[in-house]
Amino acid sequence: MQRNRELVNFLPVVILVFAGFASVYMARSAQIDASSLSFGLLFVGLFLAVHLFLRLAAPYADPFLLPLAALLSAIGIMMIYRIDPALAAAQTRWMMVGLGLLVVVMITLRNYRKLDDYIYLCGILGVVLLIITVFLGINENGAFLSIRVGSIQFQPGEFSKILITIFLAGYLNSKRELLSTTTWHLFGVPMPAFKHLGPLITMWGMSFALLLFMNDLGTSMLFFGIFLAMTYVATARVAYPVIGGILFIAGAALAYQIKGTVRLRFDMWINPWSDAMDRGYQIVQSLFAIGDGGLFGTGLGKGYLLFKNGDPIIPALHTDFIFSAIAEELGLAGATALIVLFMIFCYRVFKVAVVSDDGFSKLLAAGLGAAFVLQTFVILGGVMKLIPLTGITLPFVSYGGSSIVANFGALALLLLVSNRTNKERAS
Amino acid sequence: MNTPIRRLFLISVIMFASLIAMLGYRQVIEAQDLADNPQNTRKVFAQMRIERGLILGSDKSELARNRKEDDLYYRTYPTGDLAPHLVGYNDPTYGQVGLEHSQNSYLTGTADEVEIVNLVDMLTGKQKRGADLKLTINPKVQRTALGELQKLGKSGAVVVLEVQTGAVVAMVSNPTYDPNQLADNWQLLNSDPNAPLFNRATQGLYTPGSTFKLITATAALESGSFTPQSRFRDDRGEVVIDGFTIHNYRTEPFGEHSFQEALSQSINTTFAQIGDQLGEKKIVDYMQKFGFYEKPPLDLASDEIMASGRYEDGELLSTGDSMDKAQVASMAFGQEQLLVTPLQMALVAQSIANGGKMMKPYSVESVADYNGTIVKQARPGVWKTPLEPGTASDLKDMMVKVVNEGTGSKTKTSKVQMAAKTGTAEVTGRGPNAWFMGFAPADNPKYAIAVVVEDSDSGGGIAGPVMRETMLSALGL
Repeated sequence: MQRNRELVNFLPVVILVFAGFASVYMARSAQIDASSLSFGLLFVGLFLAVHLFLRLAAPYADPFLLPLAALLSAIGIMMIYRIDPALAAAQTRWMMVGLGLLVVVMITLRNYRKLDDYIYLCGILGVVLLIITVFLGINENGAFLSIRVGSIQFQPGEFSKILITIFLAGYLNSKRELLSTTTWHLFGVPMPAFKHLGPLITMWGMSFALLLFMNDLGTSMLFFGIFLAMTYVATARVAYPVIGGILFIAGAALAYQIKGTVRLRFDMWINPWSDAMDRGYQIVQSLFAIGDGGLFGTGLGKGYLLFKNGDPIIPALHTDFIFSAIAEELGLAGATALIVLFMIFCYRVFKVAVVSDDGFSKLLAAGLGAAFVLQTFVILGGVMKLIPLTGITLPFVSYGGSSIVANFGALALLLLVSNRTNKERAS
Repeated sequence: MNTPIRRLFLISVIMFASLIAMLGYRQVIEAQDLADNPQNTRKVFAQMRIERGLILGSDKSELARNRKEDDLYYRTYPTGDLAPHLVGYNDPTYGQVGLEHSQNSYLTGTADEVEIVNLVDMLTGKQKRGADLKLTINPKVQRTALGELQKLGKSGAVVVLEVQTGAVVAMVSNPTYDPNQLADNWQLLNSDPNAPLFNRATQGLYTPGSTFKLITATAALESGSFTPQSRFRDDRGEVVIDGFTIHNYRTEPFGEHSFQEALSQSINTTFAQIGDQLGEKKIVDYMQKFGFYEKPPLDLASDEIMASGRYEDGELLSTGDSMDKAQVASMAFGQEQLLVTPLQMALVAQSIANGGKMMKPYSVESVADYNGTIVKQARPGVWKTPLEPGTASDLKDMMVKVVNEGTGSKTKTSKVQMAAKTGTAEVTGRGPNAWFMGFAPADNPKYAIAVVVEDSDSGGGIAGPVMRETMLSALGL
């Protein structure tokens, strides 16, 4: 039975949560007191409650997804606590909101396939959220990603990503016959009719507009990547990702010419050492932190992450650069384990997509999986200078209310899809 | 649709694998390069958590100690501006120089010899602490030498070596600075035309003038063609070699005189002729025997030591660089592109005093971990053997005459018989650089010294009392 397996899967999570928090707490205050234990109890209690809820609401859902999300969140909160305990408390509250959203989504969207009827609403809502960001966005490090609602900052892009994935799942599912018909060949690659390249061009234009107006390469790349992955899944035509890839490179080259921020990020990827105290400071300090970790890390709480006054040495350490902190303090061993966790999570998501039996569900799960992989790759590759750096959160781990709430929302959809599929297979 | 999804997963696995590969590269293969990058302040910061070893003078007084602030240790120097050029400084902003730099692995306890001890202590839970350095520097002698230079108000340097061991008893560079106040004075120290941060004793390059005659004399005596009694004639106070006229100081004629008198009276014309007779190769050979063209192996970082020799446009010329006859004759009495450090000239004096054996100079007597166990003890060793004991003895006699009857009378004292050689080198636009070098007591030499004073009086006599007082202080007289 899936839920019993899930309960068993929680065991290592519980052990890691208590051990991890005890060690971070010890590193900070040289003793364990009740508050570190009570946090562990709160964390485990929350997920136990969600587990019990799943027993009722989605007994057949995948038994790995929730424990993995719990583990990633725990690692994130642990690291945020090490950087700034006040932020860890805030992150914990946001995680509770996320779990609340998960419960709400799973109750209200019990029959999630109904969403197929509202895909245009989802799509429009997704685009509107992005447009709001463009017009009301707050400038942070040159990018416009957040808007302010009352006293809290909110990143609409995190939710827009899910809404547009829902839209694409429905749209591509209905149009996939059309889109996969071959009418001509280009260098032996079967090509769809020109008129069906419309969505591709539209999506490319939208991604490019995002880049121009939000000034953010990461978000732009993420949206276009999700679209290409889903189009490929829907049509099985390699032509789409190939043409898309070419369009993307063309767009990036154009952006390099006209956007200073893009040029800066690219130049600092090629050679950050030429300006290590200013424009290359963040990536250079990230590399120093990662290199310092070595095989086994400095140990939790023992890395050189903060200045004497408590400010982080790497700007945006708790958000975009949380992985650099993890790599320094847990070393290659710990950081690789984290990457493997992401890989297992993505394996479970794609498995949900493979076993589900209708196009909409497959596309929805595969799209969310692709979003998850791309986002992880963009930020991890960025902080270790594998690819040009672009600011984006590490799913479940980075500090950020919108990010963690949206991710639990996406998790709810995946649990719904797998619950339905497994239920039908069981009966 | 399952095939594309599986392929998508395959691509995802490749992406994750490339992340892990890059991470491995950064954390294992590139880690050392990243750690050593000069823009990486992690190392300095990490070392500030280690209680650095003390630096002690030969009388066990503290030259460098620590001040703890929160979890970090900051360096303080109780003796202030007494010996910053040798001891150096260790500062998270301005870096490290001097022994603080060259002996860093001992001071932080990361040297192999010390690490073993600390591993044991780590297992038993003791705090990690660096090893202490005990220097050969005698703060009393150091203070006397610095005080004498400061009294003159001149830039200059003094190096005192223990004759039998090569131990550095004093190393002074004036103007000096207070390493406790780097942050306040950094701009000023760097823009000061007198360059107070510069270690004149090991890096200052000065024309040796007549002090170089000791090297020419060694080459002459050991060639077999000359003895201390060899006779010379000088009627005009000048001599023409290869069309080039060489003068004595004030073109003073000395008449008939011995080799011994030529040295004690510092007769340029005679040394020019000796040099002409010996030829370039002989003299350069003896320069090399005396350690010229090499950096003396003092325990400072090698970029804080300069080699002595012939220089052109700030570059050391090779030993094979050929000269015309006039150049050779000029070199024989210490001119002609020759530049030497005070440390080098102190070593020349030390080797003559030590019967021809030049010892390796050193300033760290011992390294002791914080349990007091000696992990490294200096062992005096011979660096060069530039001259025969007989030649050394002849030169010693001549240098005694320099003090008693010649140009070095300014060092004469009833308390002890000194042996010395003087030198003055003209500097365009200001007073000459004055040299005094020698050793004492003459019959049983204990300490050797080299003094250089910049912008001195015309005869260079003002450097004499610096040598005299410093030597008396070293001898405890």
